[in-house]
Amino acid sequence: MLKIEGLKKRFGNFQALSGLDMEIEEGALYGFVGPNGAGKTTAIRIITGLLKPDEGTVEIAGIDALREPRRVRDEFGYVPDEFGMYDNLKVREYMEFFASAYGLDGLVARNRCEELLAQMKLEEWADAFVDSLSRGMKQRLCLARALIHDPKLLVLDEPTSGMDPRTRLEFKEMLKELCAEGKTILVSSHILSELAQMCTDIGVIDAGRIILSGSMSEILQKVNESNPLLIRVAGGKREQALNVLKSDERVRTVVIRGGEIAVRFGGTERDEADLLRKLVGAGVAVSGFFREQGDLESIFMQITNHDTEKVVLRSEE
Amino acid sequence: MKNNPVYRREVTVRSRSFRLPLVILIFNTILAVFSLFSMYSTVAQVRVSAQVSYESFLQLYAFAATLEFLLLMFIMPALTSGSVSGERERQTLELLLTTKMTAADIVTGKLMAAFDQMGLLVMSSFPIILLTFVYGSADIGGIALLLVCFATTAAFCGGIGILASSVTRRSTFSNVCTYGFLLLIVIGTLMLNQFVLQLSEMRISEAAYQFGAEQTVADTGAAVYLLLLNPFVTFAEILSGQISGGSRLFSLSAFLGARPENFVTGHWTAISLCVQAALSVLFVRGAVRSLGKNRRT
Repeated sequence: MLKIEGLKKRFGNFQALSGLDMEIEEGALYGFVGPNGAGKTTAIRIITGLLKPDEGTVEIAGIDALREPRRVRDEFGYVPDEFGMYDNLKVREYMEFFASAYGLDGLVARNRCEELLAQMKLEEWADAFVDSLSRGMKQRLCLARALIHDPKLLVLDEPTSGMDPRTRLEFKEMLKELCAEGKTILVSSHILSELAQMCTDIGVIDAGRIILSGSMSEILQKVNESNPLLIRVAGGKREQALNVLKSDERVRTVVIRGGEIAVRFGGTERDEADLLRKLVGAGVAVSGFFREQGDLESIFMQITNHDTEKVVLRSEE
Repeated sequence: MKNNPVYRREVTVRSRSFRLPLVILIFNTILAVFSLFSMYSTVAQVRVSAQVSYESFLQLYAFAATLEFLLLMFIMPALTSGSVSGERERQTLELLLTTKMTAADIVTGKLMAAFDQMGLLVMSSFPIILLTFVYGSADIGGIALLLVCFATTAAFCGGIGILASSVTRRSTFSNVCTYGFLLLIVIGTLMLNQFVLQLSEMRISEAAYQFGAEQTVADTGAAVYLLLLNPFVTFAEILSGQISGGSRLFSLSAFLGARPENFVTGHWTAISLCVQAALSVLFVRGAVRSLGKNRRT
């Protein structure tokens, strides 16, 4: 649905994008995550035709967005980080205004507006002025506005910023519903955990390029693989266990954390089973043997802080 | 134009605002009070002296038309100079630019909505201006020419406003730029011509004093053609043609001095209207171009 290749953009001395490559499959809910200043908004502005890149290509639904900007506008809907509201318009008028901006008029536009207002649970507010809406309602109206021309791709730039937890949850559910209806959604945020709960795919951007991408399950697996094995030993056989671990060449580091032994282990699940067998064979009473659970936030911090552990993780990829 | 979404939205929003009816009320009240008092005083004078001064009716027409013209020059930039920058400040410009609308649709929608509002103001004052026709005033052709002048001036001032609004980020700065530029065009060109005329007069007097040369009439040279850009001079020229002796103060001859008639000075009104209309088109094209760049810079 969206394919970006070698996107570069420089503002003066600042290289905002340095060869961004990205691909989003149809029907995906893609989380575009990165710290502030990583290049998310620049990339989104280029995708939506608000900014011209120095180099690279953008393709939306098979249309070259840079060569055919007018044609491609039918294919995406855009929700910026700021709502962009006309406070002195009523909700229905606001929707009808944008419907006509996309060339929809008359009964078609009216029906589409009613349908979307109902879907976003705003039908009761159709005759209210936009400035009387709450922040959450405004965000839903903004989403309805972006869907007015029934685009295939939705581009949302930090849509949940400033929302309370309940509104945020409702908004996420709405995005999931849209995704289930077949829309492809690109949603950016600087908070990974926020996207992790709803996205099917994720791309981490830092210093203007994607440094980690894939499906949510793949990434979680990568995170898990990079986490240490935690071994609990019963009956005071810790020394024996340490000897077994030291003798295994797949074990990189061994750290004792309270009652557990944390082992950085470079192997597959089969290797893990083999290690467990060795420990048990050596007479160690293993009462616990498991991977530390993946924490997306910590891996995000590692990657975007250019931590040394990241290098280990990347070499394993 | 009715299909232009921006135009339709502007009309909807403005129809809800109390500002326009208030401006119409204040403006027409001032105009009506002055016109009626002036008529009353003229008629009272006739009763006493038994002499009808038709010139005072023409002066009343000149006053009403001038007031309307000044209002137009003052309000039209205000209506347009915040239009595009206002969208930018509201964060709605980007939304508009991602729709199917072109930059030209946005600019013309804004400009036409301002024209509409201005037109309403001008039309609403017509009954008061027509009061002056009770005892005879300008002819239909003259009124039509005046309307063409109003339309051109509105386009000229609106064009400057919308260009400034497209180029600048803040409405306040856009306002300052628009009025600054208009002042330069209206007051600046007049002052420049006055300055050049005085220099010329001084030079001639000096020559006459030193060499005993015959006194000739001073002129402003090529600077006079800058007045082609000045809508106020065009308006004054039209008015001076309609009211002989009534409005000579601003007529072109005051700046031309002894300049012999040529094609430009002979067709001053038509040429200046064309120049201002052409500049208006350029301003609007500039605004469209600037907005287009905004879409992909």
